Amino acid sequence: MEHNAYIPRLAKIIQIKEEVSGARPIKTFRTQFLNKNDFAFHCGQCTMLSVFGKGESMISISSPPLIKDYLQFSILKMGRVTSALHEMEVGDKIGIRGPYGNGFPIEDWKGKNLIFIGGGIGLAPIWSVLQTALGKKQEYGELKLIYGARTSKDLVFKEELKELKKKMIVHLSIDVEEPEWEEFIGFVPQNVTDKKPSPKNAITITCGPPIMIKFVIQALKDLEFEDAQIYTTVENKMKCGIGKCGRCNIGMHYVCKDGPVYSWAELKKLPQEY
Amino acid sequence: MKKILRKKSFLQWVKRLESYKIYAPMKDDDFWNFALINNPKDLNLNHSNTVLSPKKIIFPQREVILEFSTSNDSELEVKEILPEEKASIIFGVRPCDARAIPLMDKVFGGDFTDPYYWKRRDKTILVGLSCNTPPSSNCFCLSVEGSPHSKEGLDILMTDLGDKYYVESLTKKGDQLINLAKNLFEEPNAKDNKDLENIHKDSEKKIKRQIQDIKNIPAKLKEMFESPFWDEESLSCLRCGICTYLCPTCHCFDINDEIISSSPLKGKRVRTWDNCQFPDFTMHSSGHNPRSDRASRLRQRILHKFQYFIEQYQNYQCTGCGRCISKCPVGIDIIEVLNKVENYGT
Ligand SMILES: Cc1cc2nc3c(=O)[nH]c(=O)nc-3n(C[C@H](O)[C@H](O)[C@H](O)COP(=O)(O)OP(=O)(O)OC[C@H]3O[C@@H](n4cnc5c(N)ncnc54)[C@H](O)[C@@H]3O)c2cc1C
Ligand code: SF4
Ligand code: FES
Repeated sequence: MEHNAYIPRLAKIIQIKEEVSGARPIKTFRTQFLNKNDFAFHCGQCTMLSVFGKGESMISISSPPLIKDYLQFSILKMGRVTSALHEMEVGDKIGIRGPYGNGFPIEDWKGKNLIFIGGGIGLAPIWSVLQTALGKKQEYGELKLIYGARTSKDLVFKEELKELKKKMIVHLSIDVEEPEWEEFIGFVPQNVTDKKPSPKNAITITCGPPIMIKFVIQALKDLEFEDAQIYTTVENKMKCGIGKCGRCNIGMHYVCKDGPVYSWAELKKLPQEY
Repeated sequence: MKKILRKKSFLQWVKRLESYKIYAPMKDDDFWNFALINNPKDLNLNHSNTVLSPKKIIFPQREVILEFSTSNDSELEVKEILPEEKASIIFGVRPCDARAIPLMDKVFGGDFTDPYYWKRRDKTILVGLSCNTPPSSNCFCLSVEGSPHSKEGLDILMTDLGDKYYVESLTKKGDQLINLAKNLFEEPNAKDNKDLENIHKDSEKKIKRQIQDIKNIPAKLKEMFESPFWDEESLSCLRCGICTYLCPTCHCFDINDEIISSSPLKGKRVRTWDNCQFPDFTMHSSGHNPRSDRASRLRQRILHKFQYFIEQYQNYQCTGCGRCISKCPVGIDIIEVLNKVENYGT
């Protein structure tokens, strides 16, 4: 019989890492399914994570599809489900259903320069595609990351970013000045304008809060990027993840199914309601 | 298959269908509603429109989708809960409510089939009743490609011809029901056929309300997305959600966990109808809300039905039952809204 799309598969948390502490904490979780199964996904796809008794939340898979031993999620503590996740310990069990959504058209980007632009927790949803491109570096042009957060403490993947700098260009930023900070100070879109990435043979992939995305797109347009060169992910409240519960729509599109990845060329044609 | 059933034989027919669960409109206090019939004698087809459409039988307002628990050795167990599968018949379905069901089939089918919906849907036989007089003064089925004798979505359409019913079976499931009591049915004669035609024609004339020119509406709505029109039209909305709860085509739902005990953990995941007229429907945990005002929520209701659904499935997501008009406490009238859309800015 066909698998019931609403029934999560059970998984065990095998590692928890505190990325950011304080008022807006972020933790990265690695999970393994209890039973062997054929879970396969594309970069940019998401899963519905269950904390039984609390509910479900849509979370991007931040590990690349090449890694088969575990799935990784980086989660900002918000409400019921994400708070419960933050209280969990290694060995605790959660439910996972999916994968959902369209993912990034990474095959179409071969030979192009990729510019990743992230803000805050927004690095997590593009981490999978970034790692995948990095793993097949010879197939792509230049890889670049422009990433920022409110303060240096709010940056996710701090250690990984240090490593990343050895392999590709990384431009970091924080919103306001800090004593030891040597990189850009200001918002992510300003850093984009400051670094002036070239639109030539390039694709940009951006993820962050709605307001950041809006201004990043503006900054990229000012740098003469074409609409079709700009990719972003859209976040809307979700429940079913499979285009039925009716709440995540932008016009006729259900973001859970038809998104969350859109080029600006596609997104700007939809009603501006997200 | 076209047959005649004398009204005096109706009860006998229903008795022969005892292996099925039977639902029909029942009057409780002042309202008609679909309910399970325990005694065939209770079944009568003189109902005006039911408050809720029979949608609720196939897609209930609340249903458990899974149960979870931890046992003593703290093993987490998750159990799929699928609805029981006994075959059912729904009698007295109005053609507009019947037409809503193939629309729901589209939503609950597709890339991810919804097992809860289909477990019931596949086992449900829909027996409709033509509306010789419209059950509501706000009926407008003719405007949305329906009619008071539409067969769409039905397995059998019955039409009241006075002392007998004209019974037209439209599917194999329908044939089965007639075959279970073959001897009760007669062949229609020329007069029956003529009567049927006349009654159907007359019934169309009795529909008073209409949307002027629906063909232009989807394109017009698309142009009017940013219009101040939506503020004007939605000012009085109380966001009570009655319009969508009563709608035979609305399918939006919520999923939540209900805990029976927290240690050891025991609870269930429940799906309930939800409502696009509630601010919370689209509000993120951060407080950001893509549809934060009444205007954007009314726009969503109208555009989902008359633009997005057409773009997605080539049908209007409205069958003209009129419930949202009759029951809106502040008189927001979808026909008036659409007729204004039609003429807006011209
Ligand atoms: C495509 C997509 C990818 C995402 N990826 C990540 C990620 O990688 N890391 C991360 O930390 N967050 C991510 N989010 C946001 C995350 O889903 C919400 O923060 C989370 O659902 C909040 O749930 P809660 O129960 O803690 O909050 P509550 O406020 O208690 O929310 C109640 C319920 O509403 C729904 N909900 C509320 N807000 C959102 C929202 N913004 N998006 C989706 N559903 C919501 C959920 O079903 C949630 O369980 C993503 C959202 C989407 C749509
Ligand atoms: S029934 Fe009327 S008042 Fe209530 S939500 Fe619908 S339009 Fe608004
Ligand atoms: S989350 Fe239910 S339709 Fe997208």
